[in-house]
Amino acid sequence: MDVLNGWWDDYFWGAVIVAKVFIASLSLMIIFGLLGAAAKLSDNRLAQKIGGAYTVIFRGTPEILVILLLYFGSAIALTALVQLFNPEVRFVDVPPFWAGTIAIALIVGSYATETFRGAFLGVNPGSIEAARALGMSPLQTFFYIRIPEMWRIALPPFGNHMLSLIKDTALISIIGLNETMFVAKQAITVTGKPFTMYIVVGLIYLGFSTIITLTVMGIEKYGNRTTVGAQ
Amino acid sequence: MSDNPTRPLIEMAAVSKFFGDFQALRNIDLVVHKGERIVVCGPSGSGKSTLIRCINRLEKHNEGIITIDGIELTDKVADIDAVRREVGMVFQSFNLFPHMSIIKNLMIAQQLVRKTPKKEAREIAMHYLQRVKIPEQAEKYPIQLSGGQQQRVAIARALCMKPKIILFDEPTSALDPEMINEVLDVMVDLADEGMTMICVTHEMGFARSVADRIIFMDEGEIIEQASPADFFDNPENERTSAFLDQILKH
Amino acid sequence: MSFDLNLVLESLPQMLAGFGITLKLLLVSGSLGLVLAIVLLLMRMSGKFYLDWLAQIYIYVFRGTPILVQIFIIYYGLPQFEAVRDSVFWSILREPTGCAILALTLNTGAYVSEILRGGVLGVDKGLLEAGSALGMSARHKLIYITTPLATRLALPAYSNDVISLLKSTALASTITIADMTGIARTIVADTYAPYEVFISLAIVYMIFTLAIQKLFGLFERYLSRHTRRED
Repeated sequence: MDVLNGWWDDYFWGAVIVAKVFIASLSLMIIFGLLGAAAKLSDNRLAQKIGGAYTVIFRGTPEILVILLLYFGSAIALTALVQLFNPEVRFVDVPPFWAGTIAIALIVGSYATETFRGAFLGVNPGSIEAARALGMSPLQTFFYIRIPEMWRIALPPFGNHMLSLIKDTALISIIGLNETMFVAKQAITVTGKPFTMYIVVGLIYLGFSTIITLTVMGIEKYGNRTTVGAQ
Repeated sequence: MSDNPTRPLIEMAAVSKFFGDFQALRNIDLVVHKGERIVVCGPSGSGKSTLIRCINRLEKHNEGIITIDGIELTDKVADIDAVRREVGMVFQSFNLFPHMSIIKNLMIAQQLVRKTPKKEAREIAMHYLQRVKIPEQAEKYPIQLSGGQQQRVAIARALCMKPKIILFDEPTSALDPEMINEVLDVMVDLADEGMTMICVTHEMGFARSVADRIIFMDEGEIIEQASPADFFDNPENERTSAFLDQILKH
Repeated sequence: MSFDLNLVLESLPQMLAGFGITLKLLLVSGSLGLVLAIVLLLMRMSGKFYLDWLAQIYIYVFRGTPILVQIFIIYYGLPQFEAVRDSVFWSILREPTGCAILALTLNTGAYVSEILRGGVLGVDKGLLEAGSALGMSARHKLIYITTPLATRLALPAYSNDVISLLKSTALASTITIADMTGIARTIVADTYAPYEVFISLAIVYMIFTLAIQKLFGLFERYLSRHTRRED
């Protein structure tokens, strides 16, 4: 384990970047997922088509292609845009953090679209009817009946989406984000111990996955307290 | 197994069954002879289903002795297999194999368990399908049949194994009212032919006309055993009369 | 910034030359992964706690870490040990393709095993009781009741996993393999035209994905003939 001396703080800061990407992409993923679900559930044909195209495209394209395309593509687009105002500029660099974060949020968001859509449709229509019959307003019905029921249906797959996000952060090292994979690569060039260095990365990710899994389990247990039968 | 006319088919002595801390059966003593038709009733959670599920060891009893046609039920797999060959069962939710056609549902256990050749198994299956009056449905899948028809198929499937006893676990509880009679008719026919039957049911009309003996259970205990006449007209136990009041009130 | 159609027409045939490698990665690791998944499932159902635990730990580790890390540990990491280099497996492990297939197999096996388990747990308990009541043995119930019904139940999730596996094969390009994505990255490095190259390749992957979905859809239809009320 001596070879790891001097690398711990690099791994730590790499892990911090993983956590940052995770939190940023999680927020975006929820927004993309809700927008996608709203589009698919809307009565507007065009919105339905756009929602459908979004899920087909991002569920059918390898993650690495999406990341590469967003990174290099946005760099070219931004360069062209900047050159309109200042022709002197040769090249605009896009931060890999944001290119990667948006890319994995778009990918996982396409899966979340289906989860949110299914949860919305999965709410027992009887509960909604009962709430209306009791005189609750549509808004009250939405917040007190529909949202809590949806949440319970969506939580288990949503936990899986969070695990996908955390694991997809590793792919952003391909476009040069200095997260743990990147740290390992540097450490290997110095120490010549690739196995050791990548195992550390694996353990860091296993730690993140464990935290997410336990959190989801805790929330699920809390959310299901009303559905556990007397027996 | 030999047929000994004096030996009871089912003997349960001081049988108890626990689910965790919950005691589902308390000290059950029950003897059933060949040809007897027994109806078990009682409030929900009283242990009726558990009682008959112990007879073919879908549930394992914790205390006491259960002997079926001379074979004591223990952990011995060969004994359990032997008992299950002689004891048929009809479930509340039919439990037909959804991925097999009706005829296949009736043939599969004959072929696997009884080692009956395919052609003969098919003949036996058709014979019993005719007896439950739906031979024309042989090639369909269970989902294409009504609930009443599915339950008649389930009875035919049990009969195909030529059992000595048939256990019925609330066979009409999952049915729409208009389908209950078609299933009860089949059961009455079976009773008339002398089949040994133990039937958990709330159909008191059936109990009164068919049963030799009615068993009333509550909280895992057998509270009362009596002939239908005594049971309905002179129940001995207070809990029995309370129960009868409840279900016969309307 | 313009979309150069000629470049698309030029690069597509080059990329499609890598289709064979992509397909090989998918089929070989897909079938080996399925075998591994069944072994893991049998270990989990064996009733022997040590086999069950072993399988659970395996599944936990391989589902809790990024596939990219797994590929790197196998390709870059294992040669760190002399024992590996001297072993009979070296002929496989020194080839990037062998490493990619091994990593993809180990990864997909963990996921598929959980999918199959979901199918087995989804089989109505009443049907198994009916089997017992008819005197069927444990083996007969497994063959004639559990397996056909669990297969049908697990199929939709399994087809999603095959699509995930297809997308993961693109990561083989990170260890010098010239699959479709690997070739595309080379072309982009030469031409610096990410839009044309990556988008046309994304479309190829999407068509492949849709074909897989269609194929599984047909198979599912065949297996579901008993669930339709009308002939």
